[in-house]
Amino acid sequence: MTSIDVREADGGVVLAPSGRLTVVTAPTLRATVAERIAAGDRLIIVDLSVTEFVDSSGLGALVSCLKSARQSGGDLRLVAPTEQVAMVLRMTNLDRILQPRPSVDDALRG
Amino acid sequence: MSERARRVVEVPATIESIDVVQAEFDAWWSALDEAKIETRFALEIAVVEIAANIVEHTHRAEGQAGRRYQLELSADDDVLTAVFTDNGMPADIDLSTVTMADVDDESGRGLALAIAALDSLDYRRANGRNVWTLVCRR
Repeated sequence: MTSIDVREADGGVVLAPSGRLTVVTAPTLRATVAERIAAGDRLIIVDLSVTEFVDSSGLGALVSCLKSARQSGGDLRLVAPTEQVAMVLRMTNLDRILQPRPSVDDALRG
Repeated sequence: MSERARRVVEVPATIESIDVVQAEFDAWWSALDEAKIETRFALEIAVVEIAANIVEHTHRAEGQAGRRYQLELSADDDVLTAVFTDNGMPADIDLSTVTMADVDDESGRGLALAIAALDSLDYRRANGRNVWTLVCRR
């Protein structure tokens, strides 16, 4: 089961999906990001250091959330993917548009 | 081949079944003497993508509850094999035409990921069933 830890940061909000981000749990991430954008957050940081596994639905959710963030004048940045997540980002070329940052601080800086 | 290297699970064709499939995969993997984590990542992503494809296809083609599918995981000294079997409608798919989605697309990566991760992926229709065979060399 995936839960998404949400914490405020200086200049953005940090979402940390723990466990697996798959077709089962991707809708929760989409909904959480939509809520935060509706609430006025512009910089969405997805901390993947506690995400053990991502599938194509999880990737689709990240692309969708990136678009939503940019359409609202903001951005979405990934942080510290685990080994499996980094591999899947590379295989799909998504590391080009969702280039992961090493830390939340790096993501907040831009 | 040791008996511990084979594991079979049958689940209803629902989204939630993916969690069951991954739990079974995890238990099967833990019993294997396989050190390469890259091999696990490769086979696991392919297993999840094909399971999700079966679930999605079942719902789109038939829109009904009650369908089930089976996954058999096995290993020998050379290869790891996952075989999915379901009695749903034939899958209208030509694996030779599958390409990776563009980076802006929100879907269309599942089969391409499975193909890229595996050494071979085969789909055939046999005895009124869909049979997907996934192979990773060790």
